Order: sequence, then C-alpha cells, then structure tokens
Amino acid sequence: MAWVIWRQHRLQLLAVGGLVLLVAVAAVATALPVRAAYHRQALSSCLPPALRPGCELIVGHFRSEFAARAAVARWLILLPGLAGVLIGAPLLAREFEHGTYRLAWTQGISRQRWLLSKTALLGLAVVAASLALAGVAMWWREPFDHVDGRMSPAAFDVEGIVVPAYALFALAVGILAGLVLRRTLAALSVAAAAFVAVRLGVEKLLRPRYLPPLHQVASGLSAPTRSRGWVLDNALVDTLGRKITTGREDLAVLHAQRASVDPQQYFSSLGWRRVITFQPPDRFWVFQGIEAAIFVALAAVVLLAAVALVRRRPA
Amino acid sequence: MEFHLDPRSGLPMYLQIVQQVKDALRLGLLDVGDQLPTVREVVAAIGINPNTVAKAYRELERDGLVVARPGRGTFVASSLGSPSVEHHDALRRGLLAWLREAQRAGIDEESIRALVSSTLREALDRRVA
Amino acid sequence: MSAPLETVALGKRFRGRWALRDCTLRAPEQTVVGLTGPNGAGKSTLLSLAVGLLEPTEGTIRVLGRDPRRSADAIAEVGYVAQDAPLYRSFTVAETLEFARATNVRWDGALADELLGGLSRQTRVSALTPGERSRLALAVALGKRPGLVLLDEPFARLDPLAARAFLQVLMDGVAETGATVVIATRVVTDIERACERIVLLGEGGVRLDGTVEELLESHRLLTGVRRPLGRIRGVEEIVRARHSGRQLTLLVRTNGPVLDPTWTVEPIGLEELLLAYMATVELPTPRPPEPSRLRWHG
Repeated sequence: MAWVIWRQHRLQLLAVGGLVLLVAVAAVATALPVRAAYHRQALSSCLPPALRPGCELIVGHFRSEFAARAAVARWLILLPGLAGVLIGAPLLAREFEHGTYRLAWTQGISRQRWLLSKTALLGLAVVAASLALAGVAMWWREPFDHVDGRMSPAAFDVEGIVVPAYALFALAVGILAGLVLRRTLAALSVAAAAFVAVRLGVEKLLRPRYLPPLHQVASGLSAPTRSRGWVLDNALVDTLGRKITTGREDLAVLHAQRASVDPQQYFSSLGWRRVITFQPPDRFWVFQGIEAAIFVALAAVVLLAAVALVRRRPA
Repeated sequence: MEFHLDPRSGLPMYLQIVQQVKDALRLGLLDVGDQLPTVREVVAAIGINPNTVAKAYRELERDGLVVARPGRGTFVASSLGSPSVEHHDALRRGLLAWLREAQRAGIDEESIRALVSSTLREALDRRVA
Repeated sequence: MSAPLETVALGKRFRGRWALRDCTLRAPEQTVVGLTGPNGAGKSTLLSLAVGLLEPTEGTIRVLGRDPRRSADAIAEVGYVAQDAPLYRSFTVAETLEFARATNVRWDGALADELLGGLSRQTRVSALTPGERSRLALAVALGKRPGLVLLDEPFARLDPLAARAFLQVLMDGVAETGATVVIATRVVTDIERACERIVLLGEGGVRLDGTVEELLESHRLLTGVRRPLGRIRGVEEIVRARHSGRQLTLLVRTNGPVLDPTWTVEPIGLEELLLAYMATVELPTPRPPEPSRLRWHG
C-alpha cells in the first residue's frame, strides 16, 4: 500500500519537498546578512535586561533595515495550510472525478482502511515537511526573535509545533471537502476557505485567552516602544479603570496644548494611565502546545467524520 | 477440428458443437482414436463459454461417441458410419417423386423449401412432445 | 448452498426515481450470466450494489453469501470491472498490476500475466487502445482469483474485433478460475457465446430469467395469415405481434408444442429474442440527463 500511495501522490510529495528545499535555500541566502548585522551591531547587548544607551536607535535601525525581509517571511504562514489542502483535497476528489474510486474501493482493502492508510502516510509526510519549514523559520527568525520575541503572530504562526498541526488540520479539511464535494477545484477552494476561517478564528478569539494576559501600567502618553511579548491591548484608562476612547484622548491632547500644558502631565494630573495587556514571551511553548493540541484535535475530528462518511456514503 | 457457431440458428450452442462433431464423424473427418480439441483450446479459438464446450463433450460422451481420459483429453470412441446408408437411396427416390408431384402442382422452389422446413420442425416437435 | 450472487426484492432509488426495483435473481455457482435490458433498466445499479458502492433502498443482496456493504472480505473475492473500465491513467501496465497486487490479499500475478499476453508492460494506461485497456482491467479483476466476476458494459467501447478478443480472454479466465460471471450488457450480439443464463431487466424487475436453452426452447416464431388472435394451443404468452399485409408474425412463449397447422412454427435466435423482449419493456418517460457523476443507471 505504501508503494501505491507513493506512486499516486509522488508529484504532490515531490512538490512539497521541493518547496521546503526552495524555502531553505532562500532562507540561508537571506539570513546571512541579517545575522551579520545582528552581530556587527552587537544587538544582543541591547536586549533586556542589559540595556545600554543608544539602543533605541540601534534596534530601530536594525528593524527598518530588514523590515522588508521579515514581511516577506510572513508569507511562510501560508505554506503549511497550502501543502495540507493541496494534498488533502485531491485525495478523494480526484478519484471521484476520474471514476477510479470504483477501482480503488473494489479491491481487497476496505475503503476505511484505504483512507486511513493514505491519511496516515501523507499526514506523516506533511508533518515532516512542515516541521522542516518551522525549523527553517525558527533559524531564520532567530535575530528578529531576540529583538521582538516570538509571541506575536508574525513569529508564533510560523515557528514551533503549531506549524505541523496546521498542516495536519488542512490535510484533514481537504480530505473531507473532497469527499463531500467530489470536485478537486471546489474542494480546494472550500477547504482553503474553511482552513483560513478556523485558523484566524482561533488566533483572534482563542489564543489571547489560553492563559490570563498580564497587564503592565505605564504612566504617560505612549507605550514603551519595545515589548517582547504579544501586545493584545494598549489602552488609556482613567482612575476607575475605564477605557478612554481615542476621541477623548485626542480631545484631551488638544485641550492640554491650548492651555500650553504638557499633555503627559495633564494626563497624569487626571489620573490617566496607559495599560498594556500582553502575553509574556516565556509562555511561548505553553501556547504552542495548547494551539497545536487544538488543531490536532480538530484534525482528528474532521478525519473521523471523513472515515465515517466514506463508510456510510453511497459512492 | 474447428467449430463454427451460428447465433441465428435458434439451436443452443452446445447442440451446435454436438452436431458438428457428429457431422464430422459421419463424413469421416474424425475417426476412432482422434482427439477432440481441449475445452481451453476451443475457448481460446472461438471465445465461447467453457461450460458450453464441456457440456457438449459430456453429451457426446453420453452418446458413447467419445470418451474422456482424465488429464489427456477427449477421444473419439466410435464412428458414426451410418448403418442406414443403404436406406438413403430408397429415401432419396421417394423424395424425388414427391418433388415432381409438387412441381406438377405448380409450387415453386421457395415454397417447397418453406414447406419442407416447417414440416420437419413440426415433426421434430411432435417427436419431442 | 447460497449462490455467489443473490438478490431478493432489491430496489434502489435515486432522488425519488427508482433505478432498480423488485429485482429477485440468483447467479448460480460457476455459470456465466448475461444481465441485459434496455438503458435505464438498472443493470449498472445492480452491479454497484453488489460491490457495495451503493446501498440498497429496499430488499437484500448477498454476494458470496455475505452483505457487500458490511463485508470487505466479500468484495475482496469479487472481480469487478466498472463501466468504462476505470484505471489510473498515469500508471503503466506494470504499475497497474503492482497496484492490484498491493491492494489485494489474494493475487495471482501469473494468471494476470497470462491473460495480458504480449501487451507491453511499460505502456501508460492513457496510451492503451480501448481493447487493451479493457483487457488490462479484466486481468486486474481475474488476477484476484475471484469467486464472482462482475463486468459492467464491457463491450460498450469496443469494436467487434476487440469485443471478440475480450470475450476470448474472459472465457479463458473463466475456464482457469471457474468463477461465476455476471456480464451487464445491452450489446446482445456476443452474449450467447459467453452466457449460459440470461437475465433481462426491465422496468419493474426481472422480465426474463433462464438458461439459454430454456429460452430458445420455450420461444417460437409463428407465421400465418392475419386473423383475430384467440388462444393458440401450446402458447403461454404472445410476446410480440407484428403484421405486414396479410401476414401475421408472432413471437410466443410456449408451454408445449404448437401443432396448429395454420401456423408455420420456427425457432428464434437468442439475439432476436432478447431484442424483442427489450422492445416490449415499458420504459419511463425520458427525462433530462442526470448529472454525469450519477452514471450508474446504465
């Protein structure tokens, strides 16, 4: 059966392997200047708790110099989902389109076993590929992560064990979509849309709440410019802890300026404080574990549904 | 020997094979000791159900015309040199007389054929019944 | 002893339309059964039910004594070639055989090889002629050494020469394996060479079921002068009546010899007999074509 799976999916597997290789090569090529600059500017000496004068400038320079690269690297976020969907959706849909399910499902292997073997092997391949991707991303982002931490989505989403979990979930969704829709293109689109919806839903609604966020109070107009945690909220509150809308804040600034008072002093005099809500950087692996578990569980549920359906559904 | 099947004859395939073997025996094309083609040879040659060939051979065996030797094949066991050959002449004379009578009655060749074949079929049906 | 394929009051409905209904039949051990009938009679549906690709709406079906929807073991012993002989187009012949070996517990590679003859093993399936492709699909089905072989319209895409060649390979395989075979086909030309039994499906179930001999023996063509039809001794049922001018031709099912001298009695060939029955089968009114993915109402 392993040979059959390899023979049927080798193009996709080779494409995924090629993609990982391509990303790795590109990563090496683009990472070297970043690392060189990191060491040249002795950025590590600017990281907390060891702060030295002029750090703001050095860090700011490093950031702006490589901002474009970091932005491009954010596209890595697409790859695990893409790989999963591209392998998952055609798995059943193509058999339906070509009528070959009538061949595959009338041999000596039950269709549940057929589906499970395929999923297991392809899942393994997808996990391996996305682990490699995550490894490359972590190595590439190392200097950036030292500066900015890796809790914010730009880093969190492409690093660690969530990457294979995303891929596995995408694979499962693709398989189920292919089984229900029986058309590769339709299955691809629907699976991609469903994957993105769930991914974003979890990131926006659940991830901030995995653990209660921490709060940091800063008096003054602006937040500290640098935080290695994941900043969820950055709000001005009054003495009672009520949020001050940006409209009121602008009005207050205007008001202070008219009276030729420093707005920061004015705010302090009102008892207003800036409260930053964030998830601290040391929760990285806990959050990775929780999110990976969520997606693996989702993948399992979707797969079980597919297996139950493939057994019951008249073909 | 080669078999030829006529799907339009209305005669079951196995009977056609039986008939053809008998004809070959009558005409002296097969003789005692000759081997009939194996079932798989016939199947491969004319693409017909092996059970049909086997059935035909069983029928021939029951008639005592052939004998199956396990592992070796089916062999002709007795010939069909018809004992009634001497009757043929007399019968033919009778038939000729009948034909002349039919011609005198103004029946053309086509009608004669139709008459002969339907009467033959009827007579056979009656014998079966 | 149960038959390799047995159905009782089997029915299958697709979205309110019955594709097969009230179908009761059995294909006895080691026989080749021709399953025929006009388009839409449910031949393909019946075979899809037999391999568990479909679930019956009503009635029961048993394959090699088991329920095909519940028993993967039963399907493992069935050689099925679906309509259009689906195979993986990008596979070579050799890879297709390897696929069959890998996905079957029981696989007789030597038999498959023998049935394929000189067909090049390195040719891609997409490059095969329809005849070669059917032959490969058949070799895959027979290589399982199945107890039951189900073929869905195997002749549909073949020219007469290829159809005859296919039949030879099939019969050779049957001789080798002793399998029971059901051939669903609306091409009745070659059916008599292959089949010992005929089942003719029509709207509302099995219209005709018997051995070829029984069918040939029990049907006659009667020709006579046109007249009002009364009872004719020996005639069970008039299947079809046709007249031209003063002549009347009846296709009848008999229950004894027809001795009435006013009729000329002749035997009828199987092909003509089946076509006559098919023409009499009541068909549902034509409807717009189903979406192509539901193609089993063949």
